[in-house]
Amino acid sequence: MLRRTASGFGWMGLTSLLAEQGALRATGGESPLAPKQPHFKPRAKRVIFLFMHGGPSHLDTFDPKPRLTKDHGKPLPFDRPLTFAEGQMGGLLRSPWEFKPRGQCGLPVSELFPNVAQHIDKLCVIRSMVGDSVAHGGAVLQLNTGSNTFTRPSTGSWVIYGLGTENQNLPAFLTLKPGLSHGGAKNWNSAFLPGVYQGTPVGHGGVSVDELMKNPIEHLHNTRLTAEQQRYELDMIQKMNRASLEKHRDNPQLEARIQAFELAFRMQTEAPEAFDISKESAATKKLYGMDEDVTRDFGWQCLMARRLAQRGVRFIQINHEYGPGNEVGWDAHTELIRLHTRTAAMVDKPIAGLLADLESHGLLEDTLVVWGGEFGRTPVSQGGDGRDHNPYGYTMWMAGGGVRGGMAYGATDEFGYYSEENRMHIHDLHANILYALGMDHERLTYYHSGRNFRLTDVEGRIAPELFS
Amino acid sequence: MVLSGNREWAWRCLPILAAALVCAPLGASDEFEKQVRPLLAAKCHICHGEKQQMGGLNLSTREGFLAGGGRGPLINAEQPAESLLLRVVHYGDGLKMPPMGKLQPAEIAALEQWVAGGAEWPAEKAARQDAPHWAFQPLRKDLPSSSIDHWLNERMAAEGVVAAGPADKLTLLRRATFDLTGLPPTPDEIEAFEADERPDAFERVIDRLLASPAYGERWGRHWLDVARYADSTGADEDHRYPHAWRYRDYVIRAFNSDKPYDRFVREQIAGDLLPPEDPAEGVNVEGIVATGFLALGPKLIAEIDKLKMFYDSVDEQIEVTSKAFLGLTLACARCHDHKFDPLSTKDYYAMASIFASTKNWGKVEGSPVVSTLYDRPLVPIAEEKAYEDALAAIEAKKGEVNAVLGKAGKRYRDARMERLAESMQAAYRIYEEGADAAETAAALGLEPEVLDRWVSYLKPTWERRPQLEAWYAAKTPEARASAAAEYQQRFLATAAERDEANAKWEAEAAAAKERGEEPPAKPKFFAGDDRFFSEVSGGKGPYALPTENRDEHLTAEAKQQLETLQAEQKQLEETAPKPPLANAVNEGKPVEQHVFLRGDPRQEGDLVPKRFPVVLAGERQTAIQDGSGRLELANWLASPDNPMTARVMVNRIWLGHFGEGIVRTPNNFGRIGEPPTHPELLDALAAELIASGWSVKSMHRRIMLSGAYRRSSVATAEQVEKDPENRLLARFPSRRLTVEEMRDGLLSLDGSLDRTLFGALSSGEGTDKEFSDARKSLHPDDTKRRTIYVSLRRSNLPTLFSLFDFGDAVTSNPQRSSTNVAPQALYMLNSDFIAERAGALATMLLADPSLDENARLRRAHLLVLNRPADAAWLDLASSYLAGYPDAPAEQAWTSLCRTLIASNDFLYIQ
Repeated sequence: MLRRTASGFGWMGLTSLLAEQGALRATGGESPLAPKQPHFKPRAKRVIFLFMHGGPSHLDTFDPKPRLTKDHGKPLPFDRPLTFAEGQMGGLLRSPWEFKPRGQCGLPVSELFPNVAQHIDKLCVIRSMVGDSVAHGGAVLQLNTGSNTFTRPSTGSWVIYGLGTENQNLPAFLTLKPGLSHGGAKNWNSAFLPGVYQGTPVGHGGVSVDELMKNPIEHLHNTRLTAEQQRYELDMIQKMNRASLEKHRDNPQLEARIQAFELAFRMQTEAPEAFDISKESAATKKLYGMDEDVTRDFGWQCLMARRLAQRGVRFIQINHEYGPGNEVGWDAHTELIRLHTRTAAMVDKPIAGLLADLESHGLLEDTLVVWGGEFGRTPVSQGGDGRDHNPYGYTMWMAGGGVRGGMAYGATDEFGYYSEENRMHIHDLHANILYALGMDHERLTYYHSGRNFRLTDVEGRIAPELFS
Repeated sequence: MVLSGNREWAWRCLPILAAALVCAPLGASDEFEKQVRPLLAAKCHICHGEKQQMGGLNLSTREGFLAGGGRGPLINAEQPAESLLLRVVHYGDGLKMPPMGKLQPAEIAALEQWVAGGAEWPAEKAARQDAPHWAFQPLRKDLPSSSIDHWLNERMAAEGVVAAGPADKLTLLRRATFDLTGLPPTPDEIEAFEADERPDAFERVIDRLLASPAYGERWGRHWLDVARYADSTGADEDHRYPHAWRYRDYVIRAFNSDKPYDRFVREQIAGDLLPPEDPAEGVNVEGIVATGFLALGPKLIAEIDKLKMFYDSVDEQIEVTSKAFLGLTLACARCHDHKFDPLSTKDYYAMASIFASTKNWGKVEGSPVVSTLYDRPLVPIAEEKAYEDALAAIEAKKGEVNAVLGKAGKRYRDARMERLAESMQAAYRIYEEGADAAETAAALGLEPEVLDRWVSYLKPTWERRPQLEAWYAAKTPEARASAAAEYQQRFLATAAERDEANAKWEAEAAAAKERGEEPPAKPKFFAGDDRFFSEVSGGKGPYALPTENRDEHLTAEAKQQLETLQAEQKQLEETAPKPPLANAVNEGKPVEQHVFLRGDPRQEGDLVPKRFPVVLAGERQTAIQDGSGRLELANWLASPDNPMTARVMVNRIWLGHFGEGIVRTPNNFGRIGEPPTHPELLDALAAELIASGWSVKSMHRRIMLSGAYRRSSVATAEQVEKDPENRLLARFPSRRLTVEEMRDGLLSLDGSLDRTLFGALSSGEGTDKEFSDARKSLHPDDTKRRTIYVSLRRSNLPTLFSLFDFGDAVTSNPQRSSTNVAPQALYMLNSDFIAERAGALATMLLADPSLDENARLRRAHLLVLNRPADAAWLDLASSYLAGYPDAPAEQAWTSLCRTLIASNDFLYIQ
């Protein structure tokens, strides 16, 4: 019965279905995306997730390990866990970058992130991340959906299912330039949640920013008709559809479709404005590094993240991807120095710009910013001058949204291989993201295929220390 | 990884534990089923459940709950608020439950509400062991031969629901034409049917439609959904299945030729082991291709734990096979016995044994971690070896060619490396000081093209290249001279070290060969161990053997060798058999399969023989001794005595016509599936399917000629009230067009649809080194072929498909869903495709000078909505054209056509 209802929902149908399912109560409107009350007082209203596809090395960015410098070249003194590139692994590899204490808190950040380092007092650096997959495919899926094997709703889908969104005329969950490998659309899919909770992709990893600025969301622009002509046309469609509804009053889908056309019409007026950065000042664009080739692309994404946050979009994901120009991104199996230098250079200034800009717009306090990749990298070398994947212990950071800044949470062992103290599994990270948004990850459930599902499956541990 | 593997097993199980609590039917007891039972299960069953009953309390059954435990009844009917159940969860004085932590306030509230409402615990359906489950019973053979309507009317009468009248002729024609072909009726077909007054006019329409090749394209697609068909592996790397299309074409052909369904089943499991239909053919090509059903599943292919990867793929085959043919979720029994159905882990591993003995991978242990898929040559088994040997011979020859080139490369490098320091300094003068390249080369007696490569290699870029930092740090000519000397020295040292190691290895390998032993492993050097050396001597580096005028740099001897070897390679390639290939399975090495404890392939339990699930095939089965057992499995699945196969298939056919099956959980006929709305009808139709020689087309005829199929979809208030879900089929259920029907229907409006049958629309293997931007499905706008031919990458379905509920092609999908969201509306309003279709229709209408405006309007309406326009719409439409703001007629017409396309009357079948 539930499946049937879900398969043919209209606004009304879906809303009542969700209420039936014990989902969060809508506070107004009939849309399944109407803003909803969280379970408890939220710290953050929205999320910006800066996804670093490929896996940045924690050992070279936020988690310094003097022991690697000391024992450079020596073998790892314990059994190495399974790595991706078995057979190419060498001895311990020291970080080629210098770490310095930064900010009031004095947390160390390497030379790779000179700009982000200036915001260290805002950052809660989680040094004890753990995932279950040593290969990209599973790891990316798990970071985005909680599951490294099955098709499950993405984090963004769960968030907008739980909270709806504040701007009905923009998609509630946008992902900018997502990659099409390693799960592709599964990473922003709503899986068994109704399709309305799916993320809306803006281009993909391989599309240039110039192309994207022209046409950010598929089918959003009508290049053929004036607004007047289109309204004229839409009125005719609606007249015909209402006439048809008269005949088939028992079919809620017909009414739902009438509503969908109205929403679409509003979206196409509002969304282009959101993506139009022509009114942003030169100084703002410079802040994001849009004036330089290296940082222009990710700078645009970061600037868009702020603009979308301002307009009430609930979940914004921006992606640094593999692809032409980006090569393998963070995935430095070889040439760690060249690849990490270039990739960090692409994102450091834009991210720092985003943090500063969110703050100056008063948005940082209720926007949770999350940074990280699908795993970290090994303390031992791969192929002489690279590092392999390491899901056993790595770093992500959060900022804003009630997060306690200037602190390090958890720790890896002295080589940076395993998470040792206050382990934070990806499930735990998800639980904490929901927690920041005022949602109890155990109560955010969806009934499907005979049982209730959660983003965190049967796991998830809240770390209240992360929040002030 | 083993650890994380375990974690995954555990993961898969836990959901099922939770699912155990929801098998009772929903309805009045919704609240209990959704709020209370899951809560009791999650928080109480561990101590008070099936496994153990601490304090004598069992909260997993109604009886246990009513009986209470050692402290007496849980509910105080007089004073519900004082009930023991509520006292303990409130953590008041005395007993506090659950002991591991107080329930959340919302959970307590749910219990309170339930207790206040009378603590109603609905009676359970008979427990598993008591009543045999309907689906596992043989087909009823005692049923009177009655019409479909007999069974439906019987229930309607019992429930006091009056059936709707018949649909009008054109509604019926549109319904039937889309249902059987996925295309709209043409104006000629409409006219002919309207004019046909014969009593069997509709029957003739059905026959015409069933004979159309478009029938296989529509119904083949239904089956492809069930078979989770796609053209790539999805999951992690999304490699292509380059030959998947052959399976798709096989399915289309099977439906068009009305291949008996039992043969269709057999072929998809073991077609390669069946004799070809034409005995003159030495190989059953069609049969091999049919096993694509097993081969084309989603696969992780870069999984590090290869054993797990292998058995995940076996699991996927068990899942799709058991769902598609048996309507059973046998894959649930991977880690433990099935929670609802009498399916044991032994049943699961007995089937796993069959698929684990089947070849489904090229190379599991890949290089370094990406496994390769299996391309099966479509040749007689005797020729398979010749084919594989030929491939191996070509690979070996390539190896010899590379060895010669390797030697030549070394020679090229050795001849130049003594002047490395000099070359670096010369390059500096060119890239930094602007010296003329040709002059510099000439003055020093260096080869200009080599010096060019030095310049492009050393010229600084914005990137950090640590291997060149010492060079860039040298700021004076003296410093550069000494830096260059150091680079040269290190280069020579690395070259010597590697040459020595290689020479030593060659000698050892030769000696080992002489002794008849395995040669030692070749010494391994990592590029990163000396990045400067690797870059200079490899790729396009200055001292790498150039690719363009390569032969100029070879010795006469090497040139000769190379010519000979390449000629030999060419010869091998030309003479190698080039059979067509299929993504199919083959017989593999038979395995001795154990039960894996908790699904973990590293924890072996009992050995299981190859056999079929006991609940269906009985305890006494002849053990399968030879081969994989696929043929035996195929025969068992396709047997008329298997109670599931025919039932599951007639239910799918029914669903294809009515939008819902007689069993509304078409892939799950087990205990948590829904029972049939009309059990006798289901069995009668199943028996008939078998009796007809498993003819699917006969079943279509039977169903479509029923009164139920021909009813109007307009519901009365009474019908909606008494039967909101239309389980009695007192009215015809309307439905939205599928994405294929929508696209194909629109392309056919002006005759643009390319009706070519079969074949591949894209080619290529693996990922073709694509970056993430390129791993895409074919864009539907790039072809005018029917949508079923658009090749699909699982990781990136075309937007159009995702927008209109195609599904994900990852798991067996028995039934499309149908959503209505704003992005679909944007597609209708703004997409190129819809604009182009509306424009084409308008152009076609305007180009016909024999039509006046009124005739054009009528024509447009008939083409898109397949019925004549009424006066009201004609008025509306002509004033629409007249009032269209500021545009030429063509644009106004295009817009009007788009309104028809965007209308509910186009998108919905009534």
